[in-house]
Formats: sequence, structure tokens, C-alpha cells
Amino acid sequence: MKRIGVFVCHCGINIAGTVDIKRVVEAVKNFPGVVYVEDYKYMCSDPGQNLIREKIKSEKLDGVVIAACSPTLHEKTFRNTVSQAGINPYNCEIANIREQCSWVHTNMEEATEKAIRIVKSIVAKTLLDESLVPIKSPVVKRALVVGGGIAGIQAALNIANSGYEVVLVEKEPSIGGRMAQFSETFPTLDCAQCILTPKMVDVASNENIKLLTYSEVVDVSGSVGNFKVKIKKKAKSVDYEKCTGCGICVEKCPVKVPNEFDRGMSERKAIYTQFPQAVPNKPVIDRENCTYFQKGKCRLCERVCPFGAIDFEQEDEVIEEEVGAIVLATGYELYDVSNMGEYGGGELEDVIDGLTFERLLSSSGPTSGEVRRPSDGKVPKTVVFVKCVGSRDPEHHFPYCSKVCCMYTTKHAMLYKHRVPDGKAYIFYMDVRTAGKGYEEFYQRAQEEDGVIYLRGKVSKIYKSDGKLIVDGFDTLTGRKVQVEADMVVLAMAIRPSSGAEKLFNLLKVSTDANGFLTEAHPKLRPVESLTAGIFLVGCAQGPKDIPDSVSQANAAASMISVMFSQDYLIHEPIITGVNEDLCSGCGICVAVCPYDARKINREKGTVEVNEILCEACGACAAACPSGAAQQKNLTDRQIISMIKAILEE
Amino acid sequence: MEVSYYPGCTLKTNGKNFEVTTLKLLEKLDVDVKELEEWYCCGVTFSQSEENLIQKVAPIRTLVKAKEAGRKKLLVLCAMCYNTLKRAVKFIKDNPDKRDVIHDFMDRESTKYFGDEVEIIDLLSLLKLIGREKIREVVGDKRLNLKVAGYYGCMLLRPRDIAIDSETNPTLLEEMLENFGLSPVYFPFRVECCGSYQILNNSDFVRKQTRLIVSSAIENGADFIVTLCPLCFYNLDEVQKEIAEEDSAFKTIPVMYISQLLSIAAGISPEINDFNLHSIDPRPVLREKGLL
Amino acid sequence: MIKPKIIAFYCKWCTSAGADLAGTSRLTYPPNVIPVRVMCSSRVDAEHVLEAFKNGADGVLIGGCHPGDCHYETGNYQTLKRVTLLKKMLEDLNIDPRRLRLEWVSAAEGKRFTEVVKEFTEEIAKLGELKVEKL
Repeated sequence: MKRIGVFVCHCGINIAGTVDIKRVVEAVKNFPGVVYVEDYKYMCSDPGQNLIREKIKSEKLDGVVIAACSPTLHEKTFRNTVSQAGINPYNCEIANIREQCSWVHTNMEEATEKAIRIVKSIVAKTLLDESLVPIKSPVVKRALVVGGGIAGIQAALNIANSGYEVVLVEKEPSIGGRMAQFSETFPTLDCAQCILTPKMVDVASNENIKLLTYSEVVDVSGSVGNFKVKIKKKAKSVDYEKCTGCGICVEKCPVKVPNEFDRGMSERKAIYTQFPQAVPNKPVIDRENCTYFQKGKCRLCERVCPFGAIDFEQEDEVIEEEVGAIVLATGYELYDVSNMGEYGGGELEDVIDGLTFERLLSSSGPTSGEVRRPSDGKVPKTVVFVKCVGSRDPEHHFPYCSKVCCMYTTKHAMLYKHRVPDGKAYIFYMDVRTAGKGYEEFYQRAQEEDGVIYLRGKVSKIYKSDGKLIVDGFDTLTGRKVQVEADMVVLAMAIRPSSGAEKLFNLLKVSTDANGFLTEAHPKLRPVESLTAGIFLVGCAQGPKDIPDSVSQANAAASMISVMFSQDYLIHEPIITGVNEDLCSGCGICVAVCPYDARKINREKGTVEVNEILCEACGACAAACPSGAAQQKNLTDRQIISMIKAILEE
Repeated sequence: MEVSYYPGCTLKTNGKNFEVTTLKLLEKLDVDVKELEEWYCCGVTFSQSEENLIQKVAPIRTLVKAKEAGRKKLLVLCAMCYNTLKRAVKFIKDNPDKRDVIHDFMDRESTKYFGDEVEIIDLLSLLKLIGREKIREVVGDKRLNLKVAGYYGCMLLRPRDIAIDSETNPTLLEEMLENFGLSPVYFPFRVECCGSYQILNNSDFVRKQTRLIVSSAIENGADFIVTLCPLCFYNLDEVQKEIAEEDSAFKTIPVMYISQLLSIAAGISPEINDFNLHSIDPRPVLREKGLL
Repeated sequence: MIKPKIIAFYCKWCTSAGADLAGTSRLTYPPNVIPVRVMCSSRVDAEHVLEAFKNGADGVLIGGCHPGDCHYETGNYQTLKRVTLLKKMLEDLNIDPRRLRLEWVSAAEGKRFTEVVKEFTEEIAKLGELKVEKL
């Protein structure tokens, strides 16, 4: 049997005032396993700690119970103390006789009896405590960032600048994401390209970043510190080693298709770079639209390329990368306007979404920044903006607020007025939410200086009559129906997680909320971590947010990853719940209750295996296990039951 | 499939065409429809006050009869009746205490109705249940060259918890027209209120609404407007005629119950209709389209 | 021993912290409840509760984080499911299910913690000593 020493603290009069220390000491002496009992005025003081260390040695103790304050305060202190004296720290336990005893009771008789029982239960637990060592697992000091929008770019740059390698995967031919499509950004009206493109160039030139564009993650295995990721590099049909990006192939290509980057308002070729500042600034062949790939004839690009860079034989390639951490920056897309039949979405050409309007405002857009409507290229003299389309509408669409629409719609109306000073801009809104630095001022400016008209109410329908778009709505402030004859309507559509991201999330087994956005490990205190250790969430993949918020999250995730990579090993508390393979039948009940995906059935062995680094030690599996094979270290069923018996013993 | 059928007052009088054509159509679709032996006015005209239990007695009494009839589904064609009965069902489910009061009041009925025994179903939902395949089997692949503006009105779409479809962007009516080989025409005023009872004391408002709805349907190229509600029918059809009499520039469009057109599409002779019940005679257009 | 005898399982993150807060706030409550601290309320096995009753406890209190606030995301939902079932089982064993109580007490609810303990102690006192035939 263990040799346990119990040290009872007076905590001045904090404990001794209501608990009769002498009686406690006397009672404890008789507990099984207890070979030494001592009390002291302040156990946490240096002399107190010295006393413990001395007695461990002189009394040859191998277990220590400190009856004192809450373990939250001094568990660490005392475990350090005992390990200095050569005892494994997990053999030291705290009996909380202050916060949960002396401070809450007034009757000394009763408080003393309760204290004795508390100490007794902790002694019973300590008797069965095992020596444990923290779990160490090696870290691959490389990170994977999925998504090359502003959030992904920022995260990748920060991790790379901390000295660690980054693999940045982007599904499009160029990085830049949504931000590259924006015109000017609120509330300062910086041109999005001007602030984004230098960062894109930094990515391309950073030696620590391995940039994989036109690529997708297709498989992930392993866990924190050691993920194995399979990435499919789609065939670009262009040898980037040889290509200089001169663009002659693009110029000569005879095939024209709608340009997705301009939301279909301009045309691109079958061989194309997404936009002039693309990184990498080299083209890819869109095989679905290429005459050669579809009909077997053409190869014009090959003939005009001065460098022989066109490679029709290139094939998709799957490569494998090892990384220690993963950042998900998969971004967003807009809820499609065709979901809004009552607004003529998808039917009326001049009813467009906010991102399409960004392209109309952009100086590198299809109209070179002049506001011209899609149907006939005329400058619209009256533009109606509708906010919260699909957002904040739990009955029909989505319950959440898309967060950025209040600000970007204000910006849209403002920029429209700058471009068309004699035009009229109306904004239908439910609320105006301008929480952010300089945001409210920006909104005030739109109303006061630019004469944007705000109408509080919802739009019931939008239809065409006599060549005009009729917007029927309701002004709740005047209590009247309003009708606006508009030339163009811009709908602030709800922000949705990127399509295709769901597949990746399933692959990674990261959880999403009811709306498909990634769930953070804790909504307040762990906002950029997923529940799966080593996987981080940044940008709109986690929920609608603006550029500053996305950048802040990216910085946060990057710094957490840098902290993780600054150590050679991940250190993990050893109080995990293991598996006794002799008892385990492989039923998998524990697998289902584990929130961390730490448990898996090993089909070959027919038992469950635990990934110790993922286990957070809640013990839910231990309680669920029907055979007792799952036991939490140092809080086994045997320990809990012996504590119960110790407490209740007469 | 078998359903009980509750006609309501109007379908035995002005709305006769709705009933006659629906019954024939459902017969062709192999639905066994049996009218309740005993039924009462749905109670709609009493439903103006919020806290008046007596208004629920009529619909509940009808539901008691439907329960006694033993069929799981009760077909209600008139949109007003559908709305009243469906809301009564919801009321009785949500308010067990008031349900007991109503039951106490109905001392002649031995059956009690609790809310889940009989499901109230409208024509569109029933057709949806019958399924596209069965409909295509009866209608065949032929398409009638008819552009039809489907007018929903309010009663089938509001309030939300009894609605048959989205109140802002419904698709069920268009889907059914499509299934029957007709070409649905989208027009923005398809869920606009026709003005309803305002016809009694504020007929100008109804005229305004009718003008909007009708013009919008014509502007979008429709040959017909179809409806599922006798009151909408009256407001769109009769009031349209009145407008046309005063305003010679006003273009008219025939209004029909949806079943009148669907039955034609299903190969049932239009002769079963009593066209004297129409203020805007649909026959010229039907003839022009070769359907008469 | 002080009667009635009550065993309490507190989760480390919420209820035990709430109990500590009651202490630091110098609130008072009856001394009948002897705590067993677990990492999460979902660690509590039916077996533990039954052992407590078998060994002479008159009541068992389980304290976890509020729904949605569990430190381990879903642990308290597991607990809720288990306790609901366990109460039915207690009935079959002729133990009044009121003797087992599950409460959500957050780390900020020192006051609520004392109220829960007071109320539960009173209830168990009313129910009297648990006389268990051999389990």
C-alpha cells in the first residue's frame, strides 16, 4: 500500500476558524494508507512547502494530500513541490476544505465533520493514483492553409514570416479571393486591389510559402502535429516553368466564355488568367471550354507560344504533404439571386447582387468603373439597394445577419453617387448596423453629404413595367407603402459558406453550425480554433465578417500556430481516458460520445484506439463504456467508488 | 386514394364550376371523393373577432362529421373554407382548454375532435400528392398552347403555419400548371390581395387591386388567369367587367378556376362548365385556342 | 454523520467553480453535501449514483454547465440523457427519483449554487432516510 502523507493547512483562521484542525488531524491518522499527518498555518508558504518536501523524504511518502484551498489555486504549486522531492506530481491531490467547507459553514462541529470526510475521500483517491507523465508528440513544423483569399493570405504570410513553411492551396487559378473582386473598401474607400496585390506578391515571393493554385485538398489523415494531406493539382495545361506570362496565347485564343471574375458581365478566353494582377500571373486552360479538348482541333495557343509552354498532355496530379496544423480559410459566396423569385432574381437582368455591383464599380471591371447596367449598358439614374436579402429571414431563408451588407451597401450607394451625381440612391433596410471603427461616421456621411435615401422597411416585390423596375416596399417610419421606379436594383444577398467547402469540412470532420459555417472550439475564448485540435478557422468560413475581422482572425490563428511550432513536442495532460484492450469489445459507444474524434474503432483488432493527443479528458466515454474498458487516468471508476465509500462510511 | 370532400356554400352556387370540374378531374385521376353527408358553413363570416369561441363551433362541427366519415383526408376546395377550417384545426390543437369548452357546447355530437384525426387538404397539395407521374399518365405528353397566370390570392398562403407554400415566393401552382401541360406565366401580382370583403364597403379599393392584378397578368402575356378562391374569382371576374364597362381602354382577360383548365387539359369536355357564371366569357379565347 | 447524507458530483469547469465562488463570497449553505469533483458531469456513470445510494447516501446531486456552455461541447447533453434514464431506473428500484437531481450551475452562479444545495437538502430531508433493500 501507498505511504500517504496528509498536510492540513490552517490558512490562518480561514480554515482553522471554522474547522477544528486538531480533530481533523486525529481523524486522518486512522485512514488506511495514511502514515503521516501534519498541520501548518500556511501550507503554501515557503516554510510550508519545505515542510512537505522534508517529510516526503523522511517519511518515505509516495502520495501526498494537501487539505487546503481550492485546487484551482494551488494544485500546480503543490504538485511542483512534491516533484521537487522526487514524487510524481500526479500522486499529489488537493482536498478543498476552504471554499467548499470552512468558508460556507458556520457550525464548527458540522464543518469539521465535513472536512474530515472530504479529506478522507481524497486520500482514498490518492491511494489509487498512478504516476503519470505528460504526453509528448512530435510536431511537423509546417502548416497548410486552405483558401487564398485575404484571410488565407494573411495567415500564410504570418506563419511564413515566423520561419515556418506553409503550403497554401487555392482552388482558383489565382490567389486573391473575393477581395480581389472588390472596388473600394469601407470605411476609408481604399482601393481593394491597391492594398491586396502587394500581399499577393509577397506570397509569391516568400520562400517559405509553397503556393498551389488551381488545386484542391482531396484527403486528410492523421491529427494535430502530424497531418497527412493529399492535394490534387488540377492540370493547368501550361508548363509554368517555361511560361513567362506574356499573354499572347490569351490574346490569340478564339474561344470566348462569360468571365466568372466579372460575374458574367464580360468575356474571357478558354486560356486565361483570372485578372490582370493575378498571382501567379500565368494562364490556365479551361478544358471544358477549350476547342481542342472538346473537339480535338485548334491548338492555336500552342502555335503562338514563343516558349513552348503549352502542354495539352498535362494531367491532374495528386501530391502528399505533411503538416502540423491546418488553417481553413475557405471563404464565402453569395446566396444566389435566383432564390428571390419575388424580386425577379435571375429573371430581371438589372436586378443584381452586391458582388456584381462591386465589379461595376471597379476601375478594372467590365465597365472600367462606370456604373452601367447589365441589360443595355445605360447609366442608371435611379438605383435601389435592398439589404438583408435572404439574411435575417428564418422563415424563408437564413436566420443570421450577414454582417457586412450594412456597410458595403452604404459604400455602394456612396460610390454610385460619386459616379452619377445626379442619380438617386435608395436603400431599403431593416436596421442599420454600423458597429466598427469609423463605420457610423461613414453611414452618416452617406446620408448627409451624398444624399443617399434610407427607407426603413422590406421590399415586397420587384417587377418590370414599361421598361422600369418597379420596387414595391413599405416605409415603416411613415407607415406607408412606397413604390420606386428604378433603373437598377442591387440586392445585398446573404453570405453563405463556399460551395464545395462542405465536402472539405466533412473530410476533416470539423463541425459546422446549422447554417454551414465552421464551429469554433469556444465562441468567446477559442474563436479561431476548431474542436479538432490543430485545425484553425479564419475569415468567412467561420461566419460572415469584414476584412479587418478576417485579418485579425488570420493573425490570431497564425500566432497560435507559431506558438505550437515553437516547441518540438506537443505536451498534453496525461489524465486522458484510455482503453483496456482486454475488456474492450469494440462496440464503439465511446466513439459516438467523444466530441473530439479522439477514439476510433480498429477493425483489425476489434477494439477501440485512442489518439491521446486529441483526448481532452472529459470522461464521457468512460461513463458510456458498458464494460469498463474505458477508464480515465487517475479518475477511474474504482477511484470514484472508493471516494464515495470513504465519504459515506460511518 | 380516397378523400372526404367538404364543398362549402359557394361551390354549390356561384362556384359550381370549381366543384364540377374538380370532381370530374379527380375521378379521372382515380381519386375516390366522397362528399360529407352532413356539413355546415365553414364559419368564415364570423371570424372577424379574436376571442369569440362560437366562431370555431361551425368548423369543428364539420370536422367532427369528417372524423365520423372515417377518411383520413378532407378535401376543401374553396380557399376561404380551407383557411377557416385549417385555422380551426390549429386552434383546437394549440388550446386544449378551449377545445373542451367547444366540445361541451356541442351537446348533440357524441364524437370529439382533437386536431389530428382528419387532415385538411387543398386541391394543389392533393394534386402534388397524386404525383406528376399519374398526372402525366392521364394528360399524356401533349401541351396545350395556353399561357396561364396562376393567381394564389392570400387565403392559401397566410398565415404561415397553415400555408401551402411560401407566401412571398410560392411555386406550387405553377408546378401544377406545368404538370398538366399548360405554360405558367410568372406575374408579380400573383400573391397580391384581391381586396376580398372590401368589395362590400370599399369597392374602389377592389377595383384598384383588380386593375393591378389583371393588367400585370396581361402585360406578362397570359391568356387566362386561374384562381382557387371563389371570392378572388368574383373580384377579378365581375369587377373586371365593371371596370371595362366604364373604361373602354381597359383590356380584359378571362378568369377561371384552376380545375376548369386542368380538366380541359386532362381531356374532359369543357361542356360540363356553366359559362353563364362568368362575367368575362372565356369561350372566345377557348375557341381561339381550339379547345371548344 | 450529518443527516441527510448527500453526495454531489461537480463538474470542474462550472459547478465546482460556482461552489468555489459561493465560498469566496462567504455565502452559507447546509453542510450535508460532500463533493466529488469530476472533469465533466458526463463522467458520472449510473454505477456511481447507484453505489452512492447503496452505501447510504440519501440524495445525489449532479452539477454541470448550462446547456450550450459545456466545456466539452456536448458533455452535459450526455448527462441529461443519462440522468433521465437513470431516474426511470431508480423508480424500478423503489428509490424516489427526486433523490437524484441534475442542476446546471455556472462558474458565476455562487448564489444559485447555495440555493440549489439548500433546496435539495431540504427536499431530501423531507423524503427522509433512504432505506435501500439489498441492491
